[in-house]
Amino acid sequence: MNFELSQDHKVLQSAVRDFVEKEIKPIAMKIDEDHAIPDSLVKQMGEMGFLGSYLPEEYGGAGLDMLSYAIVVEEVSKACGSSGVLISAHTSLASGPIYTFGTEEQKKKWLPALNTGDTIGCFLLTEPGAGSDAGGTATTYTRDGDHFVINGSKTFITNGGYLGTGVLLASFDRSLKHKGISAFIVDLQSPGVTILKNENKMGIRGSYTTAFAFDNLRVPVENLLGHEGKGFNIAMDTLNGGRIGIASQALGIAEGAFERALAYSKERKQFDQAICEFQAIQFKLADMWTRIETSKLLTYKAACLKDAKKSYTMESAMCKMHASETATYVTKEAMQIHGGYGYIADYEVERMYRDAKITEIYEGTNEVQRVVISKLLLS
Amino acid sequence: MKLLVCIKQVPDMESRFKPDASGIWYNEADLAFRMNEYDEYAVEQAVQLREKLGEGSELTVLSIGPDRVVEAIKKALAMGCDNAVHVQDTAASAKDPWQIASIIAGYAKDKSFDVIFTGMQSQDRGSAQVGVTVAELLGVACTTTIVGFAYDNGVITAKRELEGGIKGAVTLNTPALVTCQLGLNVPRYPTLPNIMKAKKKEITAIPAADLTTSESLAATTSFHPPAKKGGGIVLEGDVGELVDKVIAILKDKTAVLR
Repeated sequence: MNFELSQDHKVLQSAVRDFVEKEIKPIAMKIDEDHAIPDSLVKQMGEMGFLGSYLPEEYGGAGLDMLSYAIVVEEVSKACGSSGVLISAHTSLASGPIYTFGTEEQKKKWLPALNTGDTIGCFLLTEPGAGSDAGGTATTYTRDGDHFVINGSKTFITNGGYLGTGVLLASFDRSLKHKGISAFIVDLQSPGVTILKNENKMGIRGSYTTAFAFDNLRVPVENLLGHEGKGFNIAMDTLNGGRIGIASQALGIAEGAFERALAYSKERKQFDQAICEFQAIQFKLADMWTRIETSKLLTYKAACLKDAKKSYTMESAMCKMHASETATYVTKEAMQIHGGYGYIADYEVERMYRDAKITEIYEGTNEVQRVVISKLLLS
Repeated sequence: MKLLVCIKQVPDMESRFKPDASGIWYNEADLAFRMNEYDEYAVEQAVQLREKLGEGSELTVLSIGPDRVVEAIKKALAMGCDNAVHVQDTAASAKDPWQIASIIAGYAKDKSFDVIFTGMQSQDRGSAQVGVTVAELLGVACTTTIVGFAYDNGVITAKRELEGGIKGAVTLNTPALVTCQLGLNVPRYPTLPNIMKAKKKEITAIPAADLTTSESLAATTSFHPPAKKGGGIVLEGDVGELVDKVIAILKDKTAVLR
């Protein structure tokens, strides 16, 4: 076994780290305050290749692997969880299924603009009445000549506000539950698409979380992704890969909070000594770092298994669950180490604490991850 | 045209340095390494010239050291160098500037490079001798500490940084070597697609012993942190006096006020 990154991955990590340090870290607080990632940063991330890291070069991607993608999301999230989830949702949930399930024509048509960040992707699965239970999808479609006509609503759509390219799940017969669901590639600039609202959230405030209504949205038949009735399988496979992205985001948030807590514990003096001299603080740091390291090992392992085209369902569920719980734990302890200052919005750990929580909820709640893991253990 | 840029991999300067067991250099364990800052300006300038010259020109990056220096080489390839030479030397840090320059000159002597770029110095050893010594050994023109660079038709026009903020302008006929200083340019980030492309670029490995057998002319005899000084200066008095004292110190000790 070898637990060291390859030289190529180290080059990538250091390049991403330099970019994040100079271009994202200085504006991370402002992204949170403004509830928006500047368009200029989205463009820069596109130019850097962050939005198409593991997609092949022939479709405008960088042609790297899943581990590279995990490193990109991790490094970006160390500074800004909002920018991290933009990359994760865009790549794993939009470009990912189009690449995995799309026809050659679909890949050539949709992927280049996604991979360069000219359009931002999103995944339209969740509905007001269908979250973890995707089989309850109430958005419906009918066939009308060479179009499908979609009606319904979607909610909590990460990146939705960009009105870019979406992968949308809808049912042709709700009584069939998950067997009635199909997936479509949707241009969200089309007539019939309405943004109901962009949600005001506790954390990852720079990231769009959008509610949509679809009123007779007409989608050309060539935009059907995979086969009719197979949408549920596409959704599950997509979320499976997406969990590696969220695990990486959570890992990055935890590492970002740890770095600040460690530095602060060396600076802050009480009773005539740096607080890191107290065993109470030392034990916190040890616990935080151990959970970070285990999260990293699980996340990188899941990415490597996907790269090796081996089964990674269990590992992606475990890394998502563990890294997200690490993120909420580490940010909480980082705030505690900062004392009262950690609770003040001028300190970054306050933002990171808010950013961390969602990672336990989205792309499958941690309860769902436990279901996935235990089912595989008992099957 | 043939271009060469020489780079060194150095520890991250924010690291905590400890002497090694022999007490003559730093202990490399647990250090993170990266490309020497001044060499990044050299790579950027070389890549800009390579892009300006276009087809028919070739930019080679060279680095000396153990296997880890390939990371710095790959970064330079991802920034736009065409190919690379890794001079394999696990004992490079024990070599003096004369030996390092001899290795580079040993490689470059029969290659007819038109322009060679180096950093003005390394961040760890800081001798600022390697670039000029390479130029001397090759018998080519040289100027140092450049903060501006232009090339046209066999002539380099360089802006140099002199003491006290004064600048000088120098013209050199190629072949020539320039050493690059902070302020010359803003090095580009290696993008992910370029990191991928760099994987396909050729890296030629050459053992250092094939390029030079020169003995060192200067030996480092000790590596140690400075002796601990007492606390800083504590100024006392009312605000007016304090300001006067601070201004006097700034004038005396720094270039902030003159």
